[in-house]
Amino acid sequence: MTAQTDAPSAAQSYEKPLPPVIGLTKPFWDGCREGVLQIQFCNICDLPWFPPAEACPRCLQDDWEWRPISGQGTVWSWIRMWQKYFPGWAPDEYPYTVALIKLEEGPYMYSTLVDIDDQDVSCDLPVAVDFRQVNDEITLPVFRPARNQH
Amino acid sequence: MSTQPDRSDLRNLQDKTAIVGVGTTEFGAIYRDLDPERSAYELGLIAFREALNDAGLRRTEVDGVIVSRLPHYGRMCEMIGLRHPRFVNVLPGEGRQSGIALQYAALAVANGMADVVACIYGNNGRSAGARYGGENRGISTQAMFEAPYGMTSPGAVTSMMFRRHQYRYGTTTEPLGHLAISNRANAALNPNAVMQRPITMDDYHGARYIAEPLCLFDYCLINDGGVCFIVTSAERARDLKHTPVLIHATSQASDITPVYVADDFWHEPMSQIADDLFAISEAQREDLAFAQLYDNFTPTMLFTLEGMGFCERGEGGDWITPERIGLHGELPLNTGGGHTSESYMQGWALHVEAVRQLRQTCGERQVDDAQYGLYACAAPLATGHILKRDDQ
Repeated sequence: MTAQTDAPSAAQSYEKPLPPVIGLTKPFWDGCREGVLQIQFCNICDLPWFPPAEACPRCLQDDWEWRPISGQGTVWSWIRMWQKYFPGWAPDEYPYTVALIKLEEGPYMYSTLVDIDDQDVSCDLPVAVDFRQVNDEITLPVFRPARNQH
Repeated sequence: MSTQPDRSDLRNLQDKTAIVGVGTTEFGAIYRDLDPERSAYELGLIAFREALNDAGLRRTEVDGVIVSRLPHYGRMCEMIGLRHPRFVNVLPGEGRQSGIALQYAALAVANGMADVVACIYGNNGRSAGARYGGENRGISTQAMFEAPYGMTSPGAVTSMMFRRHQYRYGTTTEPLGHLAISNRANAALNPNAVMQRPITMDDYHGARYIAEPLCLFDYCLINDGGVCFIVTSAERARDLKHTPVLIHATSQASDITPVYVADDFWHEPMSQIADDLFAISEAQREDLAFAQLYDNFTPTMLFTLEGMGFCERGEGGDWITPERIGLHGELPLNTGGGHTSESYMQGWALHVEAVRQLRQTCGERQVDDAQYGLYACAAPLATGHILKRDDQ
């Protein structure tokens, strides 16, 4: 117990950018904390969309709900970031990988890849969501190679 | 049933208006003289003054003002003493807006809302410490869903698109090197360019990565400067100092997505623009004396060449050769050095270079037979114009 309370908390030591949470996006982060990736779906036309918005971009109605999605997708593309734009990445973390994931349901999502070496990454690689807790409020969705690749 | 609008009415603007005055600050000199107090308005003022002199117009003859990247039209109008302009607007400081500024000016003049429109741009980004990446303030998609992964910067999204292009079509970074080298070679003949030392393919491949696969030489510069172009009617232009440069054909298209990238490398909007321009103009691709292609990052030029049909989809990498894109090649590109070597004026200086080439006043870097020239910008808001030297 003593060791735990004396150690800096994850929140204190985490210096990478944290997402501001607002009413519209809170269900997304609540889901991630529970290990569920969910996005908005229109109850009228069933269109899914991301990032969150106040109305269905097709119906323009606010009759929508958060629905869990499969968490499956593919790597549309990816980069290795060498430039030090943000604080929080240790020198030995450069270059770090950023991927643009095409979700099975259609929308795109920027994220990062885990459990894979850069030399094994390629576009169209099937991936599945995983989660990395950052602090009490934020758990980030990340993606790893899909286990059952067809 | 097609729901496509009839785009042939774009002809209504053909040859109605002209660029009659251009002005730029001294990009190289200002680059070497960092000044944290330098204001974007001051740079806009210098460019406006030069453009006015270039056109041979009096300040009071300007009755329309469009500013971009300058935070407010009011301060600019106040500084140039225009109290009662009758057509005024401000466009955000995005490169894709430079071509749009010209379109608005042409629309205003052609439709009687103004007689003389000054389009003014000022950028003190280098002195002000702009980094073009790393922003995560406020409640934006960027802050909420990109910055937590370290995703930031227009260069990184372009790099994403280029990586995908490599995967789809086997494109290498070699053609990007040709583009960067060619831009630099042109800048070496441009006394006003920031970067004048020629580079080689070894230099290109040896440069540090920024967002891999893109490296330093794929990136635009960050420099301070101002640019102005002045638009009036073709009729009036013929009474002014220089050979008028007509706004011969112009078009806009778009692909607006939440993640900036276009999964077709902007092929659809760029091919739409090409269809529009070449339907309006008697000039076709082979008649263009040059192309000034928006080059925030070198892959944007490759995407533009493919989208506009200079080569087949996916074949840009093979099409781009030093012989073809050089000053005396089949299609000289970015003849003043572009954003990677002349100056990062977000498309504004590319317009000025197009005007100077069509006036045939570019000295050592003048291309041959400059009658028609292209400006094009591939971006979520895409634009293209064919400009024409008016020999009447």
